[in-house]
Amino acid sequence: MGLAMAKAFAQGGAKVAVMGRSLERARDGAAEIAALGVPVHAMSCDVRLPEAVAAAFDEAEEALGPVGLLANNAGANFPVLAENISANAWAAVTRIAIDGTFLCSAEFARRRIARGEGGAIVVNSAQYIWTGFPGDAHSAAAKTAQATMTKKLAADWAPHGIRVNAVAAGFFPHADSVSGRRDEGIEPLQGMIPAGRTGSIWEFGWLSAMTCTPLFGGMTGQVIVQDGGESLRRSLIMPDFIPPRERADGPWGWQ
Amino acid sequence: MSGWLTGKRACIEGDSPAIRSALEAAGAGLVDGGDRDIWVHVAPPPAVKAAHEITHAEWRASLDTGLDRRFLGAKDFAEQCRARGRGGAILFVGAPEQALGTDQAAAAGALGNLTKTLGVEWARDGVRVNSILTRDTGDTLGHLAAYLVSDYAAYVTGAVMGIALDD
Repeated sequence: MGLAMAKAFAQGGAKVAVMGRSLERARDGAAEIAALGVPVHAMSCDVRLPEAVAAAFDEAEEALGPVGLLANNAGANFPVLAENISANAWAAVTRIAIDGTFLCSAEFARRRIARGEGGAIVVNSAQYIWTGFPGDAHSAAAKTAQATMTKKLAADWAPHGIRVNAVAAGFFPHADSVSGRRDEGIEPLQGMIPAGRTGSIWEFGWLSAMTCTPLFGGMTGQVIVQDGGESLRRSLIMPDFIPPRERADGPWGWQ
Repeated sequence: MSGWLTGKRACIEGDSPAIRSALEAAGAGLVDGGDRDIWVHVAPPPAVKAAHEITHAEWRASLDTGLDRRFLGAKDFAEQCRARGRGGAILFVGAPEQALGTDQAAAAGALGNLTKTLGVEWARDGVRVNSILTRDTGDTLGHLAAYLVSDYAAYVTGAVMGIALDD
């Protein structure tokens, strides 16, 4: 999803620094973005470590110049029963998304404020932040923290001209989607969504990048849901409840 | 956003110069009635009064504009969309829920959940329903509206959003 955001920024003419845990994967992404005709720089960073985040911003600035827009995409989720989430797994998922979004945003803001310039941040949140996500407790917590943080960061930095918004994203299948592993693909899942289809990854990229453009220059502190109606209630009648640990196809009820 | 709404016919009910100019700039043809692909309803903000000072007539006027007319207009629009077998986009624009008086709180709260409900109920008809509840009347409102009624927002429905911090 970060790649989709990066491509949309590039389509808008931005120079793009791609940051990933793995430098190799960041380089793969950077090659796709470079094909759109903009300067690109790939680098690796563990967003849980403030020193690493500061070093990554230094590197990006050296390669491409001051960073004026930030997309917080780092995160992870996977189907797992709450009782089976180890302390390490909990820390990994929550700290990458929560600490990572905070540390990258704060590093970005300190640099913008020092320059006396505004900027814009977009956060990749999720449609399940209002309902909970049984079978994915770590990500349910992490994604909501990102959205609630978005509103407060926006308030703190409004005097400095830094805007912060989030997209509460629905299901946008991509090469690394957890659910892409089922043999029959994603088609059986499309029927569960009111819109009748899963999202196209570029739709997510476009909206994310749009929130950072001057076209939306008055918008800040907003969480925009983009999910084809997936998170909304369909009926007063609900299917029988099956606890995540009893579901035949795993904690999410599907793979 | 140039050309995003080329070939679309948009009906804007209520007054918002920013939305009018943004939709036109994106290529939409503005129409008063007849066949439409887009229906935008803009409700003017009711006066701010303490609840015990709102007359019944004022209360009714706020709810008529802020809620009833919006539902009935949406119903007509969606029916027209179904009849011709094509989708469409509905956008409700008004003040934030807690920004004004109790009449606005009631109307905007009802409208928010109506937006979510109609977004789902008409999703398979290709009719999308979204709301912007804000005090902003400037360019961002126009651009956001143009985005939401365009096909670029095809996967956004049942969404209620603001613009400014205190929306």
